[in-house]
Amino acid sequence: MEQYNKHKGKQKFLEDSSFEDISKRHSKYLGTQIPEGYFVASKLSILEKIQSEKQLESKIIPERKTIFWLQPQFKFAVAASLILFLGLTIWFQNTHFSQEEKTVDFELLTFSDDILINSLLVDENDIESFSNITLMNEIVLKAELSEQKMDNLFLNSLFVEDSLIDNYTNKSIIESIIL
Amino acid sequence: MSKETELLSKLRNPALKDRAFNELLDAYQMRLYWHIRKIVITHENADDVLQNTFIRVYKNIQNFQEKSSLHTWMFRIAYNESIRYLEKNNKKGYEISEEFIEEKVQILSEDAYFNGDEIQLKLHKIVEGFSEKQKRVFQMKYFDELSFKEISELINVSESTLKSAYYTAVKIIEEKIFL
Repeated sequence: MEQYNKHKGKQKFLEDSSFEDISKRHSKYLGTQIPEGYFVASKLSILEKIQSEKQLESKIIPERKTIFWLQPQFKFAVAASLILFLGLTIWFQNTHFSQEEKTVDFELLTFSDDILINSLLVDENDIESFSNITLMNEIVLKAELSEQKMDNLFLNSLFVEDSLIDNYTNKSIIESIIL
Repeated sequence: MSKETELLSKLRNPALKDRAFNELLDAYQMRLYWHIRKIVITHENADDVLQNTFIRVYKNIQNFQEKSSLHTWMFRIAYNESIRYLEKNNKKGYEISEEFIEEKVQILSEDAYFNGDEIQLKLHKIVEGFSEKQKRVFQMKYFDELSFKEISELINVSESTLKSAYYTAVKIIEEKIFL
């Protein structure tokens, strides 16, 4: 209350002049205090904390170890040669593969089960020649063979005696009537 | 080269960083403490926040882009750390309600490092009743002795608006303090 009366007599409450010590201004107007020697103790505490943080960080992130060291100008040359080598290897492999792809012939079709899929990789002319050959082998030859067999059967039947045929027919007729 | 630029270049040099940080602490520790204390109110909280602030400054000094002055950057970190601290402890930073102002003044008067009288408590109450911006402007100008230019950099408000807010705040205090 005493301070209240002291202030009341004055023209202005907030003085314009700046204080040498900022703490004094806070103490005067806001009544806030700090422990004695606080800033010295606080400074030490902050520095200690920073040191412990630094130690913790160095434990978490170990320094990178150099396996082998190269001068910077050689590093780029080595890296470029490696890339060139890898690039050429891949390019050669690709070109070789495409040549092999072109030499696929209809043999693939004869040994593979999935003709439809393989046919996609084969030229139209190859497929046509393949189908002609297959037609010749599979159908015409088989047809010729079966025709030959029929001829043989017919010729053999000419050599069988008539009496035997009569007997066979009579016997089969009687059996079918009785049964 | 200004003192601040010289200090900054030392802080960025790993060999000189620790010594420069010592200088930085000597130069700004007290100012930042009082800036923080007005936001978090008690000495204990201000001590914690001050430590966090300087640790953050130490860790991030390499990322400082010099868009503002070094001490404006540090004040911004201190403010952000204070708000983070209040949020972490479920305490609201700035709120204008009779209940909240009473609660804050109660916390302040219970602090071991507060020995203010009736007038000082009244000043606290008046300032707590200001809007967030007006309160920050008044505190930074009058107690932290920052220039309008520095405050403008900190809170992104034009200098003319700041001046108007500050002189209005001073007028309100002068009118209300002895009522």
